[in-house]
Amino acid sequence: MKQKLLSLIFVLTCLIGVSFAQNRQVSGVVTSASDGSPLAGVSVAVVGTSSATQTDGDGNYSINVATDATLAFSYIGYVSQRVPVNNRSTINISLVADETSLEEVVVTAQGIERTARSIGYATQNVSGENLQQRSEPNVLNALQGKVAGVNISSSSGQPGSSTNINIRGITSFGGNNQPLIVVDGIIFSNDTDNSQNSLFGSQPSNRLNDIPPDNIESINVLKGPAASALYGSRASAGVLMITTKSGKGMGGKTEVTLSSSTNFQNVAYLPKFQSSYGQGSQNIYNNQSSLSWGPKFGTMPTVIEGGSGREVPYQAYPNNMRDFYQTGAFYQNSVNLAGGNEDHNFTAGVSSTLQNGVVRESDFNRHTVNVGGNSKLQNGIKIGGSITYGKTKQKGSTMGNGGSAFGQITRIPVSYDLMGTPIYDDAGNGLYYNPAQNHPLWSVENEFFTSNVDRVFGNLNIGYDFTDWLNVSYRVTGDTYFDSRKQVLRNGAARAPQGAIDEDQRFRSELNGDLMVRATKNDLFVEGLNANLLLGQNINQRNYKESGVVASSLTIPGFDNVSNAGVFTGSYANTEQRRLIGHYAQLSLGYNDYLFLELTGRADKSSTLPTENNTYFYPSASASFVPTEVWDVLKSDVLSFAKVRVNAARVGRDADPYLLNSVFVTSSYGNNTASIEFPISVGGSSITGFQRSSRIGNPNLKPEFVTSYEVGAQLGFFNNRLDLDFTYFNTKSTSQIFNVAVANASGFDTQTSNIGEMTNKGIEVMLSGYPVRTNDFSWNVNFNFTRIRNNVVAIFGEEPVGGDLLTSTVIPAVNYFGGITPSIAEGYPYGVIVGAKNVRNENGDLLINPTTGLFVPALPNEVIANPQKDYSLGINNTFTYKGISVGALFDINKGGQIFSMGQVDLRSGGALAVTEADRDQPRILPGVIDNGDGTYRKNDIQISAQSYWQGLGGIASEAAVFDATSYRLRELTVNYSLPQSVLGNSPFGQVSVGFSGRNLWMFAPGFPTDPEINTQGAGNAQGMDLNGIPTTRSYGFNIRATF
Amino acid sequence: MKSLKKNIIKISLLTLASFAFVGCNKFLDINDTPNDPLEVPSSTLLPTALAGTAFANNNELNRFASTIMSVTAGAGGSPQDYDRYIINGDDFGNQWRFELYGGALVNYQSLIETAEATGGPAYAGIAKIMQALTFAMTTDIWGDVPYSDALKGEGQATPVLDSQRDIYMGNSEANIKSLFDLVKEGLADLDQESADSPGSDDIVYGGDIAKWKRAGNSLLLKLAIQISLVEPAKATSIINEVLANNEYINANSANLSVRFGGQVGSQAPIWTLTHNSLFQNELLISTRFVDRLNTTNDPRLPIFVTRNDGQYVTADNGFGGVFPPIGTRSVYNNYATGVDGVGPVRLLTYAQTCFILAEAVVRLGVSGDAQALYEEGIRASMTEAGVSADDINDYFADNASVVTLSGSNDSQIEQIITQKYISLFANGLEQWNDWRRTGYPDLAPHQNAGGIDGTRPVRAVYLSSEVQRNPNMPQGSAIPQSNVKVWWDVN
Repeated sequence: MKQKLLSLIFVLTCLIGVSFAQNRQVSGVVTSASDGSPLAGVSVAVVGTSSATQTDGDGNYSINVATDATLAFSYIGYVSQRVPVNNRSTINISLVADETSLEEVVVTAQGIERTARSIGYATQNVSGENLQQRSEPNVLNALQGKVAGVNISSSSGQPGSSTNINIRGITSFGGNNQPLIVVDGIIFSNDTDNSQNSLFGSQPSNRLNDIPPDNIESINVLKGPAASALYGSRASAGVLMITTKSGKGMGGKTEVTLSSSTNFQNVAYLPKFQSSYGQGSQNIYNNQSSLSWGPKFGTMPTVIEGGSGREVPYQAYPNNMRDFYQTGAFYQNSVNLAGGNEDHNFTAGVSSTLQNGVVRESDFNRHTVNVGGNSKLQNGIKIGGSITYGKTKQKGSTMGNGGSAFGQITRIPVSYDLMGTPIYDDAGNGLYYNPAQNHPLWSVENEFFTSNVDRVFGNLNIGYDFTDWLNVSYRVTGDTYFDSRKQVLRNGAARAPQGAIDEDQRFRSELNGDLMVRATKNDLFVEGLNANLLLGQNINQRNYKESGVVASSLTIPGFDNVSNAGVFTGSYANTEQRRLIGHYAQLSLGYNDYLFLELTGRADKSSTLPTENNTYFYPSASASFVPTEVWDVLKSDVLSFAKVRVNAARVGRDADPYLLNSVFVTSSYGNNTASIEFPISVGGSSITGFQRSSRIGNPNLKPEFVTSYEVGAQLGFFNNRLDLDFTYFNTKSTSQIFNVAVANASGFDTQTSNIGEMTNKGIEVMLSGYPVRTNDFSWNVNFNFTRIRNNVVAIFGEEPVGGDLLTSTVIPAVNYFGGITPSIAEGYPYGVIVGAKNVRNENGDLLINPTTGLFVPALPNEVIANPQKDYSLGINNTFTYKGISVGALFDINKGGQIFSMGQVDLRSGGALAVTEADRDQPRILPGVIDNGDGTYRKNDIQISAQSYWQGLGGIASEAAVFDATSYRLRELTVNYSLPQSVLGNSPFGQVSVGFSGRNLWMFAPGFPTDPEINTQGAGNAQGMDLNGIPTTRSYGFNIRATF
Repeated sequence: MKSLKKNIIKISLLTLASFAFVGCNKFLDINDTPNDPLEVPSSTLLPTALAGTAFANNNELNRFASTIMSVTAGAGGSPQDYDRYIINGDDFGNQWRFELYGGALVNYQSLIETAEATGGPAYAGIAKIMQALTFAMTTDIWGDVPYSDALKGEGQATPVLDSQRDIYMGNSEANIKSLFDLVKEGLADLDQESADSPGSDDIVYGGDIAKWKRAGNSLLLKLAIQISLVEPAKATSIINEVLANNEYINANSANLSVRFGGQVGSQAPIWTLTHNSLFQNELLISTRFVDRLNTTNDPRLPIFVTRNDGQYVTADNGFGGVFPPIGTRSVYNNYATGVDGVGPVRLLTYAQTCFILAEAVVRLGVSGDAQALYEEGIRASMTEAGVSADDINDYFADNASVVTLSGSNDSQIEQIITQKYISLFANGLEQWNDWRRTGYPDLAPHQNAGGIDGTRPVRAVYLSSEVQRNPNMPQGSAIPQSNVKVWWDVN
């Protein structure tokens, strides 16, 4: 390797030698064809050389060229032009706006800029404007519905809750399937660092949430392995390349941008409740029951309320759930200062987001301050850097089925005066109808989770053009944060009656150094063949540390400090360090602007794999061809542009640290109902205990791989007014590094293995353009469609096990409930939920027990739900009339299922409106009775309404599975830009005011509320609503001004 | 041009330097975990495993077994299902996975390996005895289970099942060591000098090896009586060996009782489930149990069971109506939970030993005085509960027909097992073992009985997730349901 590089450098050195033609200085001004305004930052390049410059703030340029040279003018969003110099010394050019961005400069992996036409893989760019002022503080949520091939789902309406994102499906059994996030070249942690049991805990944010949408200039989505291969191992799940605002392209001006928005939030889409029957069961009032199967209202005037012991009127409180939530609000403000020109520029900004959630006592506050700049020194060295400090605070309530406000809010009997009943007795103890649980209002006040993140990230770049064809640069990036967390369960909490405080700290840092050598040669060997070569080296180090103490048996009520502990249980401290060294090369060839080929290779050496397996190489090849450039006859009034692309890539991925050995861990037994944690105190002695870890290590671990093939086409119609982009991809994941479940009788729970095979096949379609465009009015449409089919081909080994029985294993690191298991199952999409399924005959009719009239007992280990969508599509329409623009994003998420404990709880508990009708009439469960001779008769056994609704199934049954299809008006925006005539001599450059709304309308035919909820948070287990917090609807007003 | 070349050379060198850096494997040699040890001393494994056995006996499995044994009644959650005989493959997952196989059993295995490697036969001996006890618990609950093929980690990710007969009796052809031989190996280890031996880490006897020998011998008696109906000859010979040896548990002070602590994180699960848990209102004492003890004015009743204003507030088994208000219900008293949860969890007691020997005299004809052993069993239980000698004498005086064995062998066995049942209060698994084996005590069906066929469960159903993970487990309709008897259950 060393020798190869040495000889390569030698060859490159020998290639130096530039022939000089007669030169002259050419200058001019570049303007926009639409309004004649000067364009700053336009690239002016001499074709066939690497000599180039850019226009200044007034659109002026000046460049030294050969008299017979050709100048190429290119600018993002405009059609590029080539102009022969022809001995002229002044060349003024007006560029035509390119609505379809076919000539757009695309930022690809490692920040390399390419023209869109030369790229052999799919990428999609979303401008910051499409993410800002959208009544949405989380960038990922703001990206929802806007990118083809990307699946984004928020997890709850709690402020700061995490959002899951997968690009082109799930490709790793057990690894991180969230894309790599790169912010201005900085590898940026989007971890959730879930410290809580996902069944019973709170949800920390996904850390991309530390960046406010206001700071973002654009997000470029690199979808497939071919696009992301240069980033190496971690980019196998795709890349979100985020560019923040900078002073580039300011053309010498300095501008201050003020943004401000005020938004309000409500809980959206609560279920409808019945209002005729009260607390109890079998028509008998019972003030400790969680059910609403009691007597009809009007049959008794008053009752003794559970908990408070008050005598209260016996009546319905159908708005309990609605009233439990409050109107939330959030305020986003930012000031951004940017100035300079292409060579010397700076930026600085501050931002603030303050949010009070719809759940009482919940909030999310985020502040950032950033500075950055770039400069070209007189000696030609380019240097640049930026640094951002962010502080994010989050406070939320614990969730989950047992012992949380949200586990109880679905068990409020209709006749219980939730908001009116006292929640404390005279001694300050909680009051609730069920003494073993907590009143939801008590819970949100006394059981909470806080996270306090301090984060710094930044980069430093230094580069030098040794010649006009050779550039060497080094980039150092760092990202680090410290998260101080606390979970408080005050005395009286159902989960910790004596109180408990879990105080923990999480620290994460990542450092990257990237050396890049780039060489450019035009007209290599033959005229029109341009070549770019990149050689790079990446050194990466990641550190993680977590430590915590759990204080139990609290003494002083309401004193939320670990010093309040009567006893400390379960203290821990863990550190992780991993390193990786990668070498990569990319060769890009372009022939006459119509045929392009790109080859990449990367070799990684990782600290987390055994020495003999720790080096792995993976290549990619992509090609793009523009037939309309070759054969003019193809062009017509209809078809103005066509490009086809094809690529193949393979990406390797290393393991998490410390998976090679089997270890011992501190002993503990039990769960949230009864547990011990070593060291235990027995008879005055503290006894230390270690036990076998439940995981078997693997000293022979190998890297896992994703292989991907992709074909696509981009077509421009009607003079590029309409742009159609189509992609088909097929990926195969093999040799998965995975803690596969083993029989527990082996003494262990999982074994780290290289196993399995999984495929993803998908279609992405994007359509964008201007159906109508006149001087004053335009209508812009952006349509995207995604359909992904994921299939787990094999789990154990490389071939399917086959047979009649379900072959499946549990998704690692997921807490699951009883027989409800988020699983990986052979022949099914990733993440199906395995549980007990009702028994059906061969016709699919449910079997009924002839003596009880109820379903025969369900059989375990069946797939009962598949959370993966059939398809999703988004349509974004923007209408602009003079200064007014109205935008509406409508999206459809078709198919996919959700397992919802809360909704089934409400139904079997008799609280839902659907259980109200004909309650005094007997009912018959749908199904058939086995006649014993191979024939069946229709079920005719009458049962009570309560038996019927409960017989359909409770929280751990198939009955909790719902269709998650939703149709939604995701975003609505109205903006008005004040005309220049009004601003006149004011100091403002631009002023716009607007209204935005999110989630204003939603229709889910198969689910009582909004199915976009997942109590597992961002991660591999989706489609689980184990008593979560409903989604919100928000709307707000905003103003933006520049001066 | 010259300076340019110079620069290029510089850059080349820099590049080379960074490549040389790659060669430095030390930079990447950082994958030894600083968080978890690869080896641990025996003294950390012993309390882990002991607590695991006690946890398994005393946590969810006791809620189940005590409820179907009409000692407790279910007022909500899983116990309400148990009370109606409803169990299935979703039950006892944590017990199989994390308390038995992945808890006590695998850590006894590690302890045996560690102790044998580090010269600690005392540890190895305790581990073998306790592993035999814990395996017996496992097979008694589920029937055929992985045994000789279990606990091998990566060597066997899908262990095959051994028949319950082979587990108890051994099978030399299949290379299966009997539980009796496992205990005897342990006893032999305890006879050796041990450089490394337990102290306070032994949360049963505090390192008293003589008591461990007594526990091992009493365990042989327990295992023998468990198979006495199917293999009376083997049972007789084992019991005779133990009697000849005369080194079994001979006093309450030698009870095999695992101690817990009185603070959060150290408490016996039965205490937590009674006083400090999401589940604390799912169980109360059964009316039937209180009635049974009230008929003889048993002085243990107020020690076993709490009262509200002097009244026992209980519910009948399988009751479907409105339960008495939370806070007034009779629940486990300190005898079962220990003050503040210190336990102990009684796994094998002097009273139990007496009753086993009394039964052996009656059933198998081994030498001994059945009446004396029976009386001693009752006295041992009452003494353990803290009943004064005077009160014990009063009880004996008032209940002469109860404390005197009479009638046929079968009715004498009924008397013995009924008293054993009372003495095993809060050890539902052993009550269930005896009831399945002998049919005693006579328990009336529960109200609202449901489940597989409305009969009281005679085994637990294999865990669904284990069936999912291990193709060697019976699959689908081959999975025995809760109405299929285990091997030693032949009455």
